[in-house]
Amino acid sequence: MSAPVRVVITGVGVVNAAIVGDSAALGAFLAAPRPASGVAEGGVARVPSSVLPGLIDAGDARRLSRVCQLSIAAARLAVRESRIDAGGGLGLVIGTEFGDLASTHVFADGFLERGPAGLSALLFPNTVMNTMAATTAIAVGARELTLTLNAPTVAGELAVARGAAAVASGRARAVLAGGVDEIDPVVERHLPDLGFGGDTLGEGAAFVVLESRATAEARGATILGEIAAATWRALPARPWGVGRQRRSQAVTAALDHAGIAAEDVGAVYGSASGDRARDAWEAAVLGAALGASTPPVARLARLLGRHAGLGVLRVAAAAWTARSGLLPAAGAPPTGLTRVASPTGLVHGLARGGAHVALVVGGP
Amino acid sequence: MEPKEIIDELKTMLVSRLKFDPRRAAETTEATPLAKGVEGSIGLDSLDFIELSIAIEERFGVTMDESEDLTQHFVSFATLSQFIAGKLPGA
Amino acid sequence: MRRVVVTGLGAVTPLGLGVKAYWSGLASGTCALRPLTVIETESFRCRIGGEVPEAVGGSWRRTRADRLAIAAADEALADAGLGEPERQGAALVVGAVGGGMLEAEAWYWAASRGRRARALPAVRSMLPCAHADTLAARFRLGGPRHTVVTACSSGAVALAEAAALIEAGVAETALAGGVDSITRICFMGFNALKLLDPAPCRPFDRDRRGMSIGEGAGFVVLEEETRARARGARVYAELAGYGMTTDAYHVTAPEPDGEGMARAIQAALAQAREEPAAVGYANAHGTGTPQNDRVEARALERVFGEGGLLVSSTKSMIGHTMAAAGSLEAIATVLALGHRVVPPTANLDIPDPEVHFDCVARVSRESAVDCAISNSFGFGGQNVTLLFRRR
Repeated sequence: MSAPVRVVITGVGVVNAAIVGDSAALGAFLAAPRPASGVAEGGVARVPSSVLPGLIDAGDARRLSRVCQLSIAAARLAVRESRIDAGGGLGLVIGTEFGDLASTHVFADGFLERGPAGLSALLFPNTVMNTMAATTAIAVGARELTLTLNAPTVAGELAVARGAAAVASGRARAVLAGGVDEIDPVVERHLPDLGFGGDTLGEGAAFVVLESRATAEARGATILGEIAAATWRALPARPWGVGRQRRSQAVTAALDHAGIAAEDVGAVYGSASGDRARDAWEAAVLGAALGASTPPVARLARLLGRHAGLGVLRVAAAAWTARSGLLPAAGAPPTGLTRVASPTGLVHGLARGGAHVALVVGGP
Repeated sequence: MEPKEIIDELKTMLVSRLKFDPRRAAETTEATPLAKGVEGSIGLDSLDFIELSIAIEERFGVTMDESEDLTQHFVSFATLSQFIAGKLPGA
Repeated sequence: MRRVVVTGLGAVTPLGLGVKAYWSGLASGTCALRPLTVIETESFRCRIGGEVPEAVGGSWRRTRADRLAIAAADEALADAGLGEPERQGAALVVGAVGGGMLEAEAWYWAASRGRRARALPAVRSMLPCAHADTLAARFRLGGPRHTVVTACSSGAVALAEAAALIEAGVAETALAGGVDSITRICFMGFNALKLLDPAPCRPFDRDRRGMSIGEGAGFVVLEEETRARARGARVYAELAGYGMTTDAYHVTAPEPDGEGMARAIQAALAQAREEPAAVGYANAHGTGTPQNDRVEARALERVFGEGGLLVSSTKSMIGHTMAAAGSLEAIATVLALGHRVVPPTANLDIPDPEVHFDCVARVSRESAVDCAISNSFGFGGQNVTLLFRRR
């Protein structure tokens, strides 16, 4: 029987309110963390308008909605860092919470203002959430499986977990796994109607290139970290509700699969983002899973705002923590750094309604 | 309507409907190839042409019969303005 | 080797509520495409589609799409006879596109017309991922849960994803399927793209002019075979293979030579370890647009040659049910295997001479098919093929 496939990270790309670049740019931010503008004022951490024109060619930009541009920009950064050749087979998994709601309401506005003649054929494809994956697949030449996963809160972590599973099962030679979200001002106004409240939200995209350790070593790629386990499960809860159960199958299964015990986890990147009830539930679940030895928990949403891109960024950040021994945003103030006792990290996400993801991430 | 007026409207559509940069749209001449893949073209694909048809139908009140092959009319603004002029009432 | 089998079916379609009504309509070649009533269609070129004809029960607080999903999921779970313990561990994968957009639209329309509409509870379920949380809570499904949004192939991808979880040993049982209700955005968008035939769609017909939209929900229960047999479950068929590829060509148009589609078909065959000659029936994506049917026929020919493969399009009868299409058509394929009857392509008068397959025009065909495929080729070049075989 062949040895199990070990999944490694060979490229990172990030475009958000405070970071634009690959693993080096991410590392620079994590080493000197600060709140993105917008967050401090209690608003949304938005990607500044000056960023995308520098990353997307004007001719291409004409046909790409903003959220698609965010996705492509970050995806390309990750692919470039990994130096992977898409022609050898590349899968694509993108997680998103809101998709392209900006295009959706503009499409609807066209009709409401001018009737059928006001409809835009160019905008229509963006009303389906797979538009970021469709355009990114074209931009990077990904022709194997393409998936768009929609989930509240945990879409980014879920995309990485799903991508890792595809590599581990041998279904894909390599997977570009990412998360992207945009908070359009009209959408922002209506967030309470959509059931949101309390969270610090952000926007942006982050991608990681995942492949087997064997493939990466064979082509001389730089390995940034390893995903030792990636699981997704669910906890009981009403839709939009916060549950009461603390016993987590996701964390147990992840630790099991990685062959480690709770005490071996040196750091946690959690999904807390200002939704008090949900954050408390997550803390309870982590406490139950990791016991007395619960390590420091980084809460990056305080600095960058919750978005699917952040979920993916956390995985890359956990790899950075494994390499550097440092954990940002784990205490008060969130701009501080904590030394970690061991290089193995847990990336954890728990959503209202119960969607639950856990990844074990180690160093190169 | 004069061909030049029609072409000016088409250039406006490049900006308002097809999201072209106003400067790029202004640089387009009546002879500039429209379709992607043609040398020197402004790179419109099938979706762009559908969008342009919707805009043309709205602005000029003409109907595009999609069972007809309209490719030849969409070669340049010159051919397109002729096609539109031919469909206007009183043409 | 872990085999994945289908042990329960549930469907709500333009042909009626329940699998029985669905199969009865399919087998008799009934076209269910009619003037739409659930949205306004005035001043649009195409005003017809496949609408679920009867009232789907459930609370007004729920979106129409949620209610369709609940009805179909309920039927599938009951059909499979899944009890509490099995449901506790069951995985759930939902394919969705519109989510609760129909209700969100009504609210947005009212708000834009100056009526300060307070959002109904239904608006909270706007996003596609809402279905999974609703179904999990309603049916106490406690296993891994995720939602895939891959446009027209979502329902098929959901089944493939669930099968992958079972193959990997992450779950023993899964509920998987897709759902979409009619929405204004979908209706208006396809109208704007001029992809709709004002009359009922005519897949593979020489004079076809476009697609018809539809709505519905299709869910299946998938299980690991030895456990299914051990509990005495009825096995409809095996989901023996699936292939997922991407054209990476254009956001709406398929790659003209059908290469991506052919690769998906070949991947499904390879996983199932079947030769093309073993496949007796292909349930096509078959939307009825001049382009799709031509490219799909090319892809089929690349894989199967000009052989004796029977091909038919379920969309000819229920329209393109978007995220539900992949799962509803998988159900049609499974039923075809079980009944030994291949449903027809409705509205097919003059077969397109460029399509070199028998497209089973108008009347269903008795045929002892042991192995069949179902194709779903989504916007954005997302190609999925599922392979089912009798077990």
